[in-house]
Amino acid sequence: MKRKIAAVAAIAATLLGAAACGSNSDEDAPTTSASGKVDGTGKTLKVWLMVDAQSAWKNVVDDASKRFTDATGATVNVEYQQWANHLTKLDATLAGSDVPDVVELGNTEFPKYVFSGAFGAVNPADYENSDSWLQGLKGACDFEGKTYCVPYYAGARVLIYRTDLLKKVGAEAPKSYDEFLATAEKVQNAEKANSKFGAVYMPGQYWYAAMSWVKSTGGDIAKQEGDKWVGQLSQPQSIEGLQRWVDMVKKYSKADPTKNENDQANTFAQGTAAMFYGNAWEQGAAEETKKDPNNPDSPLVPTKVKGKLAAAPMPEVPSFLGGSNLGITEKSQQKELAAQWIKAFTDSTSMAGLVKANALPNATALLDKAAADNKTIAPAALAAKNSWFPPNAEKWADVEKGAVLQTMLTDVLTGKKSVADGAKWADDQINTTLNES
Amino acid sequence: MSVVDSPATRRPRDPGGPRQNRVPGHVAPRRRKRNSGLVPWALAVPALVLIAALLGYPLVRMLVLSFQNMRLRELISGRTPPWVGFDQYTRVLTDEVFWAVVGRTVAFTVVSVLISVIGGLSIALLMRRVTRGVRLFMVIAMMFVWALPQLVAAQIFRWMTDSDFGVVNYLIDKLPGVNYQNHSWFVNPWQGWSVITALVVWAGIPFLAITLNAGLTQVPKELLEAATVDGATPWQSLRNIILPILKPLITIVTTLSVIWNFGLFTQAWVLRDGHPEPQFQTLATYSYTQAFGQARYSLGSAIAVITVLLMLGVMIFYIRQMFRIGEVD
Amino acid sequence: MVAPAATPTPASTVPLKRRKSKAVDDGVITVGRSRSGTILANTAGVLFSVVMLFPVYWVLNTAFKPADEVLALEPGFWPSNPTFDNFISAFKAPLFLQDMLNGVIITLLAVAGALVVGFLGALAIARFSFYGRKAIILVVLVVQLVPFLALLIPLFLMLQNVNLGFKKFDLTDSLIGVSITYLVLILPYTIWTLRGFISGIPRELDEAAMIDGCTRAQVFWRIILPLTGPGLVATSVYGFIQAWNEFIIINTLNSPEKQNLMAWLLQNQTTRGTAWGPLMAGAIITSIPVVVFFLIIQRNIATGLTAGAVKG
Repeated sequence: MKRKIAAVAAIAATLLGAAACGSNSDEDAPTTSASGKVDGTGKTLKVWLMVDAQSAWKNVVDDASKRFTDATGATVNVEYQQWANHLTKLDATLAGSDVPDVVELGNTEFPKYVFSGAFGAVNPADYENSDSWLQGLKGACDFEGKTYCVPYYAGARVLIYRTDLLKKVGAEAPKSYDEFLATAEKVQNAEKANSKFGAVYMPGQYWYAAMSWVKSTGGDIAKQEGDKWVGQLSQPQSIEGLQRWVDMVKKYSKADPTKNENDQANTFAQGTAAMFYGNAWEQGAAEETKKDPNNPDSPLVPTKVKGKLAAAPMPEVPSFLGGSNLGITEKSQQKELAAQWIKAFTDSTSMAGLVKANALPNATALLDKAAADNKTIAPAALAAKNSWFPPNAEKWADVEKGAVLQTMLTDVLTGKKSVADGAKWADDQINTTLNES
Repeated sequence: MSVVDSPATRRPRDPGGPRQNRVPGHVAPRRRKRNSGLVPWALAVPALVLIAALLGYPLVRMLVLSFQNMRLRELISGRTPPWVGFDQYTRVLTDEVFWAVVGRTVAFTVVSVLISVIGGLSIALLMRRVTRGVRLFMVIAMMFVWALPQLVAAQIFRWMTDSDFGVVNYLIDKLPGVNYQNHSWFVNPWQGWSVITALVVWAGIPFLAITLNAGLTQVPKELLEAATVDGATPWQSLRNIILPILKPLITIVTTLSVIWNFGLFTQAWVLRDGHPEPQFQTLATYSYTQAFGQARYSLGSAIAVITVLLMLGVMIFYIRQMFRIGEVD
Repeated sequence: MVAPAATPTPASTVPLKRRKSKAVDDGVITVGRSRSGTILANTAGVLFSVVMLFPVYWVLNTAFKPADEVLALEPGFWPSNPTFDNFISAFKAPLFLQDMLNGVIITLLAVAGALVVGFLGALAIARFSFYGRKAIILVVLVVQLVPFLALLIPLFLMLQNVNLGFKKFDLTDSLIGVSITYLVLILPYTIWTLRGFISGIPRELDEAAMIDGCTRAQVFWRIILPLTGPGLVATSVYGFIQAWNEFIIINTLNSPEKQNLMAWLLQNQTTRGTAWGPLMAGAIITSIPVVVFFLIIQRNIATGLTAGAVKG
């Protein structure tokens, strides 16, 4: 019965043209070179970047595109995508024939597409600073000995704190995790009168933070054993870290356990917390907001906490290294041009522009200079050196999309599950997802 | 003819222009039921072609897809995904998570439709009872709500129920003895679903109340007055006069509400900020997350097919009834 | 099914219709009417309206607040420094006007197309009896149940490669492609509702006209079409709302330059926090076309909905 139906369906599919017509794209595709000169006169390169580039460093994009156009004669058409649903759109687009030449994805989103043959191989040596690309970014590009994307920028998370509130209780930037807890305790007591006050602002679904705590005690999310992935959250070391985070959040945070970290800078700016864990640029976002959020050149308006913030690496907690990479789509008809543009957009000039916009550069070689040039990101640059990134598994993005860790954290924080039960549940989900063929 | 002020009750100014084109001896084809030939098909062709092309074809592709195992690799390369027969269906139907989603979707649909329709009917009755100025105010208020796009309405509710800045927490917190500071509405699924239901009902009431109100204008006043004279209580009048007359209309609006609420997507999606937790998944969001979030396109298709079948099962009564109406005239 | 239609229609049934006469007899149920009852009912009516309007008021309140008031732990119930900044921000934002124009074009194309095609289809099933009629009715009823989201990828692939025999077209990233998609999205409902209106027109009218020498085409054009007028307006309400509000399909098919206001609104939610002020201002602007549309046709809405609904 089964077979018969399948056969009928197969015929139907053939009639409908659903059957094979593509080439075998994952057979050893040639590596695209970015060296030499490419003449792109009359051509247009289609680039998909995420909206952050538009809101925070559009000038860098424009400058790189201009240099690219001067060198090749080709024009650039940049389309900015929203994080909310960019993957749906990418899926549909990649299925078709008219694809963007260059696509930006978050580093944790990349493996899924690299494994599926969506991107063409690049030659790292063609790009500046490639010998010291941040491992957390580059790891997502590696597959079977080749590199399928180019690191673009990074973000590392640090402890951002209110200098005035800490000074009031005679504390400074904590040097150890115990000191961090002690400081939180002191501040919490000092601000007891304010019922909305919580010493640490830590939204419940901030899994980058929670997993950093897991890493801090030697735990892990998942690891590869043979060709299988095994969830590690219910291992004792992971549980210890998770418990550490949960205890801290329950005691010191008044943040919504069902929210993620997207709005944390805005909320922190209200002055109801003394510390939060965020990206370097979030310190700026908490101190000043754009008068007109739709206009990148809009004047900045100070918030209640302007001039009262400082950042330091979170003691004993390694940072999650977030960020983005750039890939050349396998179906692109102008890979060489695409490589040229990426080269311009990731060279030292562009990276200097990103640093000005409070993003971390893509290579360790640039971190020290970045720290020196921009005091705001100095602690983050330091934190980036001691950083981690999620399992480099094909299906990792599916775990993220499935909100597995987020759900588990909310459940644990609200007492719906114990830490052990939550970890066990998450492990099951992770095992199923990562090992699915 | 139709219930209210129907087009048909208006007299055409010049029905057909008797002065022109008069062909002596031309007899109207009274037996229009026969020999219509190609005319009806010619009229229906544009609609059929469009539906076949943009709904039918993708629908068949979806059906085909549900018997395959299409993942990202196949999607990108364009190669035919492996055929798996009913595997996707077996997988869906044996998954307790799926059944939980179905149960939740059905429960939500029943509750939200009941509240909306009863609420809409009550408001419609109320509109008949108030003075004109108040009625106008009610209509204007509902027009504004109705005009708000779904996405916008959902974002408003997200904003109002925000745990840090939401006005709802602020107001509830003002009640004596209640601490709703930083209350999170989506920890407890009951509370979360209350917010979603409130949004759906709030957005659905205008359509229902305005439509049912228009239907109520058709209830002959004389009948109700006669009933009152005969000693009927308002409740008896409602049950024995108003409801029977409104019944067809109520059936229609209820059915439409069922179709809409069963397909709940935007509201749950926006209120949960694009990542509904398991307890906030509906069939629509579940199918979407499976297909696009998890790149299980075939599984997503199978869920969609099952959804359509479930809907058909629920709607079979309605479709039969509609079909009969369509048959008759 | 009871046909309430059999009752004679009072002259004034449109809820909003204003009458000069002071007498309250526009279909108001007079059962149990008493002064205290009226006061009670009025109070309930006002209360209901206030509750309904509260979220709308809250959008306005937020939209007129400057950024620092929007994000305040103590929400102000009135903007202490009202400002148009959020509206200016929305209008000046990249692509806002473009996307607004796109939305208008797409909506008009889709609704107009659906009305034309739907009217013809409705004529066929309402005025003719032919082999296959039942099948068409069934199709029209059943396709309304299909979840469109599940068709996204096949739809995308198909629109990208539309082969009309003589030429191939790529209809993704175009206003036309989305318009046609929306047209089909609202077509089944349109056909079904119009069918109700058309069957409401007595056949005797057609026949009389044909006796007078009208051709069938003339009957359609001169009798049925004008008499379906209010029905067309009422039907377009649904189509208008659907087409104007859709954002997932258009976001997948088109680039930001060719999207509508709904898709634009999504942009205000980035990983860098939601810009609530401009979002709410944008929401108001987005709703204005619908409110205007409603105000223009408000007389027909209720009428049309009931008539169309009851007949179909």
